[in-house]
Amino acid sequence: MKYLLLIALLFFSGCGNHLVRVQPYEKEYFAQDKMKLNPLDERAEQESHIFLIREASAGGDSAFQGGCGCR
Amino acid sequence: MKTFVIALLLQLSLFADVSIGEKAPEFMLGSMDSQTAYSLNSLQDKVVLLNIWASWCSGCKQEMPKLIKLQNDYHSKFQIVAVNIDKNPDNGLEFLQEVENKIGYMSHFINLHDPKKSVPKLYSCMGMPSSYLIDKHGIIRDIIIGSVDENGIQELKTEIEKMEKE
Repeated sequence: MKYLLLIALLFFSGCGNHLVRVQPYEKEYFAQDKMKLNPLDERAEQESHIFLIREASAGGDSAFQGGCGCR
Repeated sequence: MKTFVIALLLQLSLFADVSIGEKAPEFMLGSMDSQTAYSLNSLQDKVVLLNIWASWCSGCKQEMPKLIKLQNDYHSKFQIVAVNIDKNPDNGLEFLQEVENKIGYMSHFINLHDPKKSVPKLYSCMGMPSSYLIDKHGIIRDIIIGSVDENGIQELKTEIEKMEKE
């Protein structure tokens, strides 16, 4: 039973990478425009501009800035 | 103990990837226009660059003009086998047409279509695009993951010239 469990664990750890991870050649649908977080670049730019005016602050809309407006 | 060894071997076989110095796995695919079937074995006396690409892959857009030029420069004993993995072959053909129109001359690849993605699975493709340089004896001599830049093309030229003389 112990061996069986060990074998099962070893076996499934090997499968993990192949079954769970999306392989680079399987990303056809991910590459489509509709899969983008911001499908329309112009609209994203406008939204960012409106956010800036409304909140009277710059930054905070990306991972590189803290959002305090002080940059 | 015997079962354990068998299971371990099975486990290791899951990690089996193609690598430099190994025989290139054989495959047979139809051309993009569905007219002819090609196998890797049929190109034994040529240096082959097996390129796996798709119309949705941005790196493929960058490298395709360079590869077309490379094929035109070395056309006698060198052959690029371009395996397109788009579900719809029309997308791939449209992409090629666009690139050809842009650079002003035709590609002379062997264009194969692989909608089931059997070749990238067989070659354990680690990124898109991927290229495998295969010598006249069917041995993998180089693996390029990602798009080839100008330096990469120069290195490929050196390798091809060396391999043509072998």
